[in-house]
Amino acid sequence: MPIRLFRIDDRLIHGQVVLGWARALGIVDIVLVDDGVAASPWEQDLYRMAVPPEMQVEFVNTEQARRKLPEWRDGTMDVLLLTGEIETMVRVLAGVPDPPSVNLGGIHHRAGRTERLPYVYLTDEELAELRRLEASGVRVSAEDVPGAGAVGLKALG
Amino acid sequence: MTGEGRALLRLMVIQGAWSYERMIGVGMGFAAQPLLHDLEAATPERHREATARSSEFFNCHPYLAGLALGASVRAEHDGVAGAQIQRLRTALCSPLGALGDQVFWAGLVPILMSLALAAIALGGGGWVLAAVVVGFNLFRAAVTRWALRTGLESGMQVGRAVSASWLPRAAAKVAVPAGLTAGLAIPLTAAWLLAPGLGGDLLIASASAGVAGVLLRFGGARLTSLRVALLFAVLILLWTRFAP
Repeated sequence: MPIRLFRIDDRLIHGQVVLGWARALGIVDIVLVDDGVAASPWEQDLYRMAVPPEMQVEFVNTEQARRKLPEWRDGTMDVLLLTGEIETMVRVLAGVPDPPSVNLGGIHHRAGRTERLPYVYLTDEELAELRRLEASGVRVSAEDVPGAGAVGLKALG
Repeated sequence: MTGEGRALLRLMVIQGAWSYERMIGVGMGFAAQPLLHDLEAATPERHREATARSSEFFNCHPYLAGLALGASVRAEHDGVAGAQIQRLRTALCSPLGALGDQVFWAGLVPILMSLALAAIALGGGGWVLAAVVVGFNLFRAAVTRWALRTGLESGMQVGRAVSASWLPRAAAKVAVPAGLTAGLAIPLTAAWLLAPGLGGDLLIASASAGVAGVLLRFGGARLTSLRVALLFAVLILLWTRFAP
């Protein structure tokens, strides 16, 4: 399982992801799946600045991620796959064999969302979407930094 | 005072309305107000949208927030589409957080603290602490001003301006002097603390370090290093005040 972590975090590449998770898991390749960023060189330049020299970063859109997923999972490189939106992760993982676990990191306040954990805000529709994801075999839990303790989907409402 | 001056002052208290919901977003909105003021008369609708956008969730290193503030205010004045400005804000969180953490929290702060400890150990008095606090805050104010100016000048091109600036170079280089000064300060400070007598004091110091280690290892999540340090500071104060 060389994809060591599937994470949803709307801050995308930032300290908790890079220093908290990627360093702790020995990640060498951060895959950022986001249709907007994949089409925007100036945003990629900004995110690249936050990646330490010992790691590389790939910017892909949802389609490319679906195509390359088996290659990353069977490869030898330790990969962290990151999306900013719940919907993107759902689309990346739709129908994949041997469904993985998904980690909810920071999903922050936006109009319509209510607080589920200090770092997880969800609309009812988003919660339902995560429940459907879990029903498809993907284990979903929230944990902001390694060792903080994973919180299951049931505890989120 | 100009709008820029008031925005600068407000940037100094950007964490004053920190919350999990918006992190420094409300502080950003507060600091943006003086810079958005002139939109109010010209394009009230744009002003309303810009005010709401500027207070949305935002998080980065507080000293570098001026880069994001200046850039997004400039983009609002340039009439850039709202969705683009939101993407800019989101994308700036990560490099401004990572660069700020490296330069300040893991660089400048340990360097200054180590130099202060070493200077005190070598015979400097309490003025050393005052000099460090004043010097650090003068530098912080200068960085805040540079950040706001650079943001206002570059707008949507702020990423390019940051890459070309001193920040990434400082972030790449600051770890070595931070390690060096800490390595210098620790033995100097230990020797200074233990100098009065290498008998009983050494025993107490070793025992305290042992107890602190055990507390941190087995004390659970509530016993953070800060709390253990404060506990020992209180014990030392009580000891120096009431010891026979």
